[in-house]
Amino acid sequence: MASIDIANIRKSYGIHPVLHGIDLAIKDGEFVVLVGPSGCGKSTLLRMIAGLEAVTDGEIRIDGKRVNDLAPKDRDIAMVFQSYALYPHMSVAKNMSYSLRLRKTAKDRIASVVAGAASKLGLDPLMERRPKALSGGQRQRVAMGRAIVREPKAFLFDEPLSNLDARLREQMRAEIKKLHQDLGATSIYVTHDQIEAMTLADRIVAMHGGIIQQVGSPLELYDNPANLFVAGFIGSPGMNFFEGRYMVTGDTASFALTGGIVLPLGGTANLQDGSRATLGIRPEHVVLGADGPDVMKASVDLVEPTGFGIIVHLKLGPVAFKAFTLDRRFLGMHGEVDVRLPVENLHFFNDAGKKV
Amino acid sequence: MASHAAARNGGARRDQRPLKKRLADASAPYLYSAPALILIVTVMLVPLILGISYAFRDIQLLNPMSGGFIGLDHFRTLSQDQNFFRALKNTLWWTGWSVLLQFIFGLILALLLDKPFYGRAIVQALVFLPWAVPSFLAGLNWAWLFNPVVGPIPHWLFALGLMNEPYNILSDPQLSMWGPIIANVWWGIPFFAITLLAALQAIPRDLYEAASIDGAGPVQRFISITLPFLAPTIAITVLLRTVWISNFADLIIVMTNGGPADRSQIVASYIFTQAFKRLDFGYASAIALVLLALLISYSMLIVILRQWLLSKD
Repeated sequence: MASIDIANIRKSYGIHPVLHGIDLAIKDGEFVVLVGPSGCGKSTLLRMIAGLEAVTDGEIRIDGKRVNDLAPKDRDIAMVFQSYALYPHMSVAKNMSYSLRLRKTAKDRIASVVAGAASKLGLDPLMERRPKALSGGQRQRVAMGRAIVREPKAFLFDEPLSNLDARLREQMRAEIKKLHQDLGATSIYVTHDQIEAMTLADRIVAMHGGIIQQVGSPLELYDNPANLFVAGFIGSPGMNFFEGRYMVTGDTASFALTGGIVLPLGGTANLQDGSRATLGIRPEHVVLGADGPDVMKASVDLVEPTGFGIIVHLKLGPVAFKAFTLDRRFLGMHGEVDVRLPVENLHFFNDAGKKV
Repeated sequence: MASHAAARNGGARRDQRPLKKRLADASAPYLYSAPALILIVTVMLVPLILGISYAFRDIQLLNPMSGGFIGLDHFRTLSQDQNFFRALKNTLWWTGWSVLLQFIFGLILALLLDKPFYGRAIVQALVFLPWAVPSFLAGLNWAWLFNPVVGPIPHWLFALGLMNEPYNILSDPQLSMWGPIIANVWWGIPFFAITLLAALQAIPRDLYEAASIDGAGPVQRFISITLPFLAPTIAITVLLRTVWISNFADLIIVMTNGGPADRSQIVASYIFTQAFKRLDFGYASAIALVLLALLISYSMLIVILRQWLLSKD
C-alpha cells in the first residue's frame, strides 16, 4: 500500500493538450474517485498512473518514488479494466495466478493466495472455467481477483462497472466498497457515473476539460459545489439553474430571471448589484405547496413517479425546473402550484461560473 | 392430451392431395436446386473423373494408337521411377523450406507493421506488392537476378567472398533448388504478412496492457498473448500454403525447368514435364493422382490434429 502524488501532470497528444496541470495527493489507503464526463481526461490520468500512457510533463510519485519512466510492470500496481481484459485462453485460476507465475512465486503459495482470493470473491466453483463461460458479473469478479492476488501498492479501476446492467452494477459497487474496507488498499477509481462516485469515494475528484474542478468528500461536493460544472454534474436529478441578474434594493436582494420574473431573496449574497449570475437549487430543496410571503406560482408540466419519490417538472414563466418530493399527494398534481425556493438552500454562481 | 394426439394422427392419415400434386410437392426442392447442382457437377466432377480415368489409360499425344485401358501399369512404372522419388523428396524440401521461411519472415513483417510509425500505410502497400506480381514474371525476374551475365546477385556473393567466381546457382546441382525457393519466399511473404497482421490487429489492446501491468515483459506478452491468439490463423495458413506450394510449379518451370539433371524437379513440375514435354498424359495423370492422395491424407491429418487440439481444450 502506498501514497500516490501527482504533481503538475500534463498530457498532450501531438499539439492537443488533454490534461492541463493536475495536482493531486492521494493518501495511503484512500479511495479516490475520478469523475467527469467522457473526454475530461480522467481515464488518461489513470492510465498515466498505471504507466500505460507517457507523461508529457510533471511528476508521478508512488510512495515518494518518481515513477514517470518506470514500465507498468515495475510500478507494482494492479488495474481492473472496463472490458475486464481477461486472458480468454486461460482458465479463471490461470488468469488470477498469471502475475504470480510471472514473478516465479512458489507453487503452493500461488495456490493458497488464489484460493483465498477466490473464496473472498465467491469464485470457487468457477476456477476451471474459461472467461467466455462466465457472466459479466463473474468476469468482473475474476478481474478483481486477478488484481488482489498481487497485493499491489495500489488498485486502479477504469470504469469497471460500465458493462454491467443496473442491478449488477449496484451489487458490484457494494462488493468493491466492502473489498476496500477489508483490504484497505489505496484505490483510484475512474467513472462517469456520479452515483458510483458518491457511494464509493473517500474523496471525489471532479474533472472537466482536463482540469480538476473540485476535490472533496462526496457530501462536500454535493452540499458545496465549487462551480457550475460540479453543481450540475453531481446529483440526480441534477441541480436547477436560473440565469438572471442580482439586484439589491436597500437591505434585501432579489433575483431577476431572464424571463422577467423576480425572485425575492431573504438575505444578500456576495454579488455586485446588477451583476449577471446563476442561481442554483437542488430539486429536493424546492418546497411544493408552500405558503408565505416569498411564494411563487409555477405551472406543472409533468409528474414522474420514481417509486421512491416524485420528480415534478415545473415552469416558472418560460423557465423550466424540477422539484423532487417524497410526498405522494403531489402525484396527481396539475395546473398551478405554490413553490418556494428557500434562501438557505440557494447556490449563487458568478458570471464566470464560480460559486460565491 | 389424448384427443390432441388423436387429432394429429388423423391429420397424418388424411392426406387427400392427388398423387400428381404430391409428386410435384416432393420433387420441388430437387427441381429448384437442379440447375446449380448440374452446373457444379459439370464444372467440378466431370474434369476430376476424366483426369482420374486418364491415370488408368495409355494416353500419349504423339501416338494415335494409344488410349487403351491399361489398369495399374502406370502405377507399376511409377513405383520403379527414380525420378519420381527424387521429385517427391524435392517436393518435401521445396515445400518445407518455402513455408517455413515465408512464415518466419511473414510473422516478423506482420509484427513490425503492427506497430504504428510514420508512413505505415505506404510501407504496408509496398510490402504487399510481391503478391500482386504474376508468378511467371517473378520467376523470370529472379532467374535474371541469379544470372551472372545480366543479374547482380552472383557478383555480390563473389564480392562478399561467398563464391569463388560469379556463377549461376540455378545451374549448380547442389544449389539449384534454392533459387526457386528464394523466389518463392519473396513472392509468398506478403500472404503470411497480410493474414497474420489481420489476426494481430484483432487482438484486444487491453490484454497487452493488462499483461504488462501483471508484470509481463515483451517476450512474455508475445508468448502468453500473441501466440495463443495467432495459433488458429497460423494453423490454417500453414496448412493452406503447404498444399498450395507443393502444387506450385510455376517458379521452378520458369527458373530451372526442373534442372539441372532433374535436381530441382518437384512432383508438380514433374507432372508438367511428363504431360507437356513428353506429352504422356496418362502417366502424368497417374502421378497427379498420387500427389492428390498424398495431399488429401496430409489435409486429413491436419484436420484430425485440429479436432484433437480443440477437444483437448
